[in-house]
Amino acid sequence: MGVTRDGEPALRATGIEHAYGDVPALRGVDLEVAPGECVALLGPNGAGKTTLIGLATGLLAVQTGRVAVKGRDPRRAATRRLLGVVQQQLGFPRTLTVAELVRGAAVRAGRPATAALGALAEVGITELADRRSAKLSGGQQQRVALAMALVGDPQLLLLDEPTVGLDVTARREFWQTVAARRDAGAGVLLTTHVVEEAAAVADQVVVLHEGRVIAAGSPAELIALLPDRTVTARTTLPACAVADLPAALSVSNDGELLRVSSTAPEELLRAWLAADPWLSDLRVEGAGLEQALVVLTERAGVFA
Amino acid sequence: MTAPGAGAVLGVEVAEGLRGVIREPAALFFSVVVPVLFFTMFTALFGSMPSPNGLPVAASMLATFGAFGVVSVMQLNPGISVASDRESGWLRMKKVSAAPVWITIAGKVLAALPYALAVLAALTAVALAVVGPVIGVGPWLRLVVVLLLGSLPFACLGLAVGFLASANATTAILNAILFPMVIASGLWIPLEAMPAWVGGIAPFLPTYHLAQLALAQLTGAPAAAHVLVLLAATVVTGGLAGWAYRNLRV
Ligand SMILES: Nc1ncnc2c1ncn2[C@@H]1O[C@H](COP(=O)(O)OP(=O)(O)OP(=O)(O)O)[C@@H](O)[C@H]1O
Ligand SMILES: [Mg+2]
Repeated sequence: MGVTRDGEPALRATGIEHAYGDVPALRGVDLEVAPGECVALLGPNGAGKTTLIGLATGLLAVQTGRVAVKGRDPRRAATRRLLGVVQQQLGFPRTLTVAELVRGAAVRAGRPATAALGALAEVGITELADRRSAKLSGGQQQRVALAMALVGDPQLLLLDEPTVGLDVTARREFWQTVAARRDAGAGVLLTTHVVEEAAAVADQVVVLHEGRVIAAGSPAELIALLPDRTVTARTTLPACAVADLPAALSVSNDGELLRVSSTAPEELLRAWLAADPWLSDLRVEGAGLEQALVVLTERAGVFA
Repeated sequence: MTAPGAGAVLGVEVAEGLRGVIREPAALFFSVVVPVLFFTMFTALFGSMPSPNGLPVAASMLATFGAFGVVSVMQLNPGISVASDRESGWLRMKKVSAAPVWITIAGKVLAALPYALAVLAALTAVALAVVGPVIGVGPWLRLVVVLLLGSLPFACLGLAVGFLASANATTAILNAILFPMVIASGLWIPLEAMPAWVGGIAPFLPTYHLAQLALAQLTGAPAAAHVLVLLAATVVTGGLAGWAYRNLRV
């Protein structure tokens, strides 16, 4: 398992700026992942998450700033021996079987091909071993990619939206496997759009927005950043009318219900009840990480 | 911390390349079947007649069609394979591994060699069946060795295109280069049977020199000039491939 060999963090990125031509993707990002720590990188589409992971894997050349994996340059092949990567876009050769893919990954990571057996079992896909990659479902491909990332005993796991396409059970098992590696000492940097799973597995959350870190901390700290409450109710008013009520910050649909975040839920409710006497199924809760994220990103958008 | 053993990684790359062709052979169909079919037809018609260089036509054609088959496999297969790996994202996945990408590239060239050899074996089997033994074992071995070694510049050209173009474009571009080059070098129809101006173009084409080098193994004609031209072609296409590799997008 990922043994710490020295005091270096699993990943350290400092002062990262990156642009594709004249399209800026990252504008001054600092990030650190300690051994045995799981960091979730959250943020809307195009925030720069995949770009940051691309720099950490050595796929992209650093333009400004510094990236080090255990103090070493990921552009050097030998450094990547320390990495286990699940990229956002997968692409397996259709003619190879799962076992062949994982054995190949083992050898490319400098381990014996027999290590594949353990990785297949760890991810729970031993029964897929002889299946050709062309015949895998999306979720199965995702798990094969995790097995390929784990087979080299990485000290840093880089997982870019690795649970896309997984069902609920597979998702839970996926994060349990990752958490076990984290507990054994590997650093983990992950991205996901399912905020609840980040809240469950991550020790630290870093929120990116338009290439900048707009918030960072433990999931609990981020939620506490917001004094917001969430008010959910069934209403006859249109969403835009609710958004215009006093103390309403953001409005989103939750099935047939409307979900409104507010720093002053009492004030909001007085006005809402006055405007809609048929208001029902009322619930007031502290904000979850998801709402915290929505509000943080909206504020960043306003102040950008 | 050790880098993975280059030998072990190369083994994996070659095995993956070989499996790719065995399990989905359609890609190599034309490279293998076309030369063998034409060769069978022509040897059945003219195989035992003498050709202008004194050899039986079947022996001459072993060199010319052999050159065609080997160049076809080596120019198309590694290049198209690398282009489709780029397109599918597989090359990007390998690029973040601890194995250097050049091993992947070398693996693709090595994995194509057995198929080039298979074309030569098939042509030889046809010649034996239709005409009987037309050349000795020694010259045959030399013929095989020079054809396989001499295919390197064509493999480099294929890779150069495959590093930059899509898989479909790579197939189209490489075929568009291959067929005129093959015909103008007299690999299908002997130059003696074609208009004189074609014979004037031929010495400027590396395929011509590869076929002449192969023929020289059978006739004992001087071969140094052909070797020099092929070396120069390797320098040029190798340079092209190196440049394309530095501009590789995955
Ligand atoms: N290869 C590229 N060429 C040009 N622009 C790019 C390229 N890749 C990303 N970008 C741009 O860089 C910005 C950041 O993209 P990135 O893929 O890092 O975002 P992301 O946070 O991973 O988004 P998502 O959640 O959609 O995966 C975006 O504006 C995107 O359009
Ligand atoms: Mg992304």
